[in-house]
Amino acid sequence: MIPFLFYMAAAIALVSTVLALTRSNAAHALIYLIISLLAVAVVFFLLGAPFAAALEIVIYAGAIMVLFVFVIMMLNLGEEGDQRERGWLEPGVWIVPAILAAALMIETVAVISMTEGMTSGEMVSAKAVGIKLFGPYVLAVEIASMLLLAGLVGAYHVGRRLSERRRGGIS
Amino acid sequence: MSNPESAELLPFIVYFCAVVLLVATMLILSWLLGQRRQNKSTNMPFESGVLSVGSSQIRLSVEFYLIAIFFVIFDLETVFIFAWAIAFFELGWYGFFAILVFILVLTVALIYEWRSGALDWGVKTRTGIGES
Repeated sequence: MIPFLFYMAAAIALVSTVLALTRSNAAHALIYLIISLLAVAVVFFLLGAPFAAALEIVIYAGAIMVLFVFVIMMLNLGEEGDQRERGWLEPGVWIVPAILAAALMIETVAVISMTEGMTSGEMVSAKAVGIKLFGPYVLAVEIASMLLLAGLVGAYHVGRRLSERRRGGIS
Repeated sequence: MSNPESAELLPFIVYFCAVVLLVATMLILSWLLGQRRQNKSTNMPFESGVLSVGSSQIRLSVEFYLIAIFFVIFDLETVFIFAWAIAFFELGWYGFFAILVFILVLTVALIYEWRSGALDWGVKTRTGIGES
């Protein structure tokens, strides 16, 4: 049952990612990307990491994809956006990133085949993650809060300057 | 506890079926109850009786995106608080002070945003530290 579910989720992730890449309408591509992230969450859960699966849904499929969908829909590029996206699907645009990604994939397959058992097969509960996070890695948590603080203030100032520039430089 | 067994997947399957059932019910009900007339003005947006003109491709203020970015960052904060809360008894006072510092740093960010008017919509009325 579990291997079957794993391969099904992995296949859904692969298919939806390919579809996300090849759509010319950005909103449609995002919906496939959300499905891909949900499938990856299922893979995480089946590998025994329910907390990572929950994060994948809450942060990626929830918050970040909402942000993306929000921006894409508000930008409302319409038909000209589709035209431009179709232009980006030419081989000249994606061939170099594809070669680099293929090289990385070969490297990953080589690494996985050299080492035995990348996953321990043990279930890591959310509680265990919390104990580790606020135990040995508590400094990383505090650094993360600083990073989030910088992100908040930085996002506000970048956005504010843009909005004021458009209004004609009111300061 | 090794790999998740089939019994542990059962709540997920029940939940999934409930979601599918709910969405299907909503779609079928709105299809049954909704109108199916096709006049030439059926698909026209209703704007208080005023005919709409021009394209819908307008530029919206960047402030809307800022609100979305703030949401993402505070959503991330929730994840850390969640990780702390489920291990509350194991972590004790040490974890409590760790999360306290974490929340305080982000409260500073929230106060800064609030005082500098980042959370104000539309016309800025507040003058604070971010202005000048």
